[in-house]
Amino acid sequence: MRTTRRSFLRLASTGAAVATVRLDGPPARAQAGGPVKVGVLTIRAGIAAPVGAAGLRGTEWWVDRVNRAGGILGRTVQLVVEEESNPKDTVERYRKLVLQDKVQAVLGGISTGVTLALGPVAEDLATPWLSWDGTTQKGVEETMPHPTWAFKSVDNEVEAIVAGMLTAKYFKGIKTVAGIGNDYSYGHDCWESYKAVLKKYAPDVRFVLELFPKLGVTDFTSHIAAIQQSKADLLMCSFWSGDATIIMKQATAVGLFKTMKGVFTTAGGVHDSLKKEFTPEGLLLGYNTMYFDDPKGSALLKQFVREYKARHGEYPPYECDHAYFCAESYKAAVEKAAAQSGKWPEKAAVARALEGIEVESLSGRRSWREDHVQMCAFYQGITTHRNPYDFATISPVEVVSTKVAMKPAGTKLFDWINSWKVSRG
Amino acid sequence: MSGRLVLAAALGAIVLAPLAASTYHVLLMLPFMAYAVALLGLNLLFGYTGLVSFGHALFLGIGAYTGAVLTSVCGVRSMEVILVAAGALGALVAAPVGALCVRYVKIYFGMLTLAFGMVFYTFVLKFYRLTGGDEGMPFLRPALLGWSLERMPKTDYLVGPYYYYSLAVLVLATLAMWRVVGSPFGLCLKTVRDNPTKAETLGIGVARYRWYAFVISAVYAAVGGALLGPPTGNVDPTLAYWTQSGNIVFMTLLGGFASFFGPILGAFVFIYLQDWVMSVVPFWRLVFGAILASIVIVAPGGLAGLWERRAVEREASRA
Repeated sequence: MRTTRRSFLRLASTGAAVATVRLDGPPARAQAGGPVKVGVLTIRAGIAAPVGAAGLRGTEWWVDRVNRAGGILGRTVQLVVEEESNPKDTVERYRKLVLQDKVQAVLGGISTGVTLALGPVAEDLATPWLSWDGTTQKGVEETMPHPTWAFKSVDNEVEAIVAGMLTAKYFKGIKTVAGIGNDYSYGHDCWESYKAVLKKYAPDVRFVLELFPKLGVTDFTSHIAAIQQSKADLLMCSFWSGDATIIMKQATAVGLFKTMKGVFTTAGGVHDSLKKEFTPEGLLLGYNTMYFDDPKGSALLKQFVREYKARHGEYPPYECDHAYFCAESYKAAVEKAAAQSGKWPEKAAVARALEGIEVESLSGRRSWREDHVQMCAFYQGITTHRNPYDFATISPVEVVSTKVAMKPAGTKLFDWINSWKVSRG
Repeated sequence: MSGRLVLAAALGAIVLAPLAASTYHVLLMLPFMAYAVALLGLNLLFGYTGLVSFGHALFLGIGAYTGAVLTSVCGVRSMEVILVAAGALGALVAAPVGALCVRYVKIYFGMLTLAFGMVFYTFVLKFYRLTGGDEGMPFLRPALLGWSLERMPKTDYLVGPYYYYSLAVLVLATLAMWRVVGSPFGLCLKTVRDNPTKAETLGIGVARYRWYAFVISAVYAAVGGALLGPPTGNVDPTLAYWTQSGNIVFMTLLGGFASFFGPILGAFVFIYLQDWVMSVVPFWRLVFGAILASIVIVAPGGLAGLWERRAVEREASRA
């Protein structure tokens, strides 16, 4: 048989392809098929757009990393991104991802107002949905205790519970507390949870003022005047977006924190906008589930922070970690299910494999509880200016696990808090 | 092609869509049909009476929340009861609101309706224990014509029985509105729109007729709102927000308020164009807004107006 130039090239390229197959790679049958499509729902407009952008960036970083390493069981990952907006439109986008784009899983969901609607739709469409930051809680109580396909975020009120515990530790002797939060379920639920926890540690404490400005308000002059007027020993604030930065600026301008302690349960979400010039030392500041400057942080976290800063010009907030965890746990579940069946797993097998799975995330080990709720650690601490940045960070860093700060599966929040045995040493 | 043929072809396509189109695109027809019902009512006020309401999301919200309260609080699952209750409640709220609003016209009418819309939005947002606040309320799967259909997978339910149920409601609402606008009452509304002074001289109570139109449009919007609930399964305050009012006014403009079927066409184009642009461009609002603005500039009478203009030109060239 005569070997032509064309047939030689074909033979050579086949040989090269065979030679590049790693001997320790996944089984050949698992590599069948094109890229694995993964849907992402993220907020792109409005007050929560920076949160959505951070989640998407975290997911994209994960995709680059996974694809560089050969993908999931040899299949590269391809993201299909849709927008999270109001519940009606987001439900439609979710259906598009599953029915039209044929994704293998959907990642994302930030607003609980939206994810409450997504939960039943995910169950109906029989595709794993791993929520970044949205729960299926109505207020502080679960509405979907036994889901099959929906994997939900940490309970919304956990940061307030952790802040309540740490208030008792760091601000001993306070007698009166004022509170401010956004006028929607998150703001109200955080305040009620914080009060319940603090009462356990300091039964004599009095809550003298509660303010709930509309989400998106940017002038807090009258609120700050009312807080000053209350002469409270401490201000608890559950703002999580740009309003946290604004109230910090306006409060510091009138010297509020010279006479009052401050607790910002969730302002770590906008941490690098909390400049030293208007963010005093000595406040309790919550970073939710990832602290970018954790001195005990893993090599993975340090690499992520370095590359995120280089690519986006800022330091990553916690949403990146929620997003990374969802994506990484999906990959681990696919691999776990495939190890049992020897082939690319069905969606149902992946959903089963996700239950109880634990992976290394940016903030450390994270897992899914049996009722499909994220388990992780929360980072809070006292603000300091002793750092190389132009914004405040925290030291010492307190790490509190959801094992102690989140209600166990199947319990009611306030019954659980009331059952605590607290030593008031 | 004559208008009747186009209409028959469109209706045929809608009837056959569940058999031929993808499940996702069939699902997108559900909000289209719900909005189409609401827009038939809105256009009675806008196109036929000359009053532009920027607060009709109030009635969409009333319809949707009526369904949510009935299914998830009162245990009423009959869609027929929900639709009747939504329409009745819409009329009940529209009666005093309309009585106040129709005393004004043009921008003053628009601003008053906007204000009432935002009062309702604030009510559903603030009365958390009653309405679920920002988290909304579940709208449980309603029974259709006495069939519970509870065991059917939700998607099958939506693209099957619920699809044809919504279509039936839309057809009935269209026929009823067709009768309304073609009746002496409809002619009176057009007279009120075109020359209120002359209408008054002819013995037509201008304020009274505007009020009738307002109440009827509210009933249609509330029924449309009730139809919007089951596909999402949850109703929330954004359904009653002013942007919803803006969207339905825009759908009417896009399709053409001078045409009976224009707003329905507008709803269809709006929903499918938004779906397409959202998937293609991250900053879709900018692009979507520019596309819609271009359409309105090129075709001030809306898409239906463009089609009618071409038909007239063809007739003229033939003559």
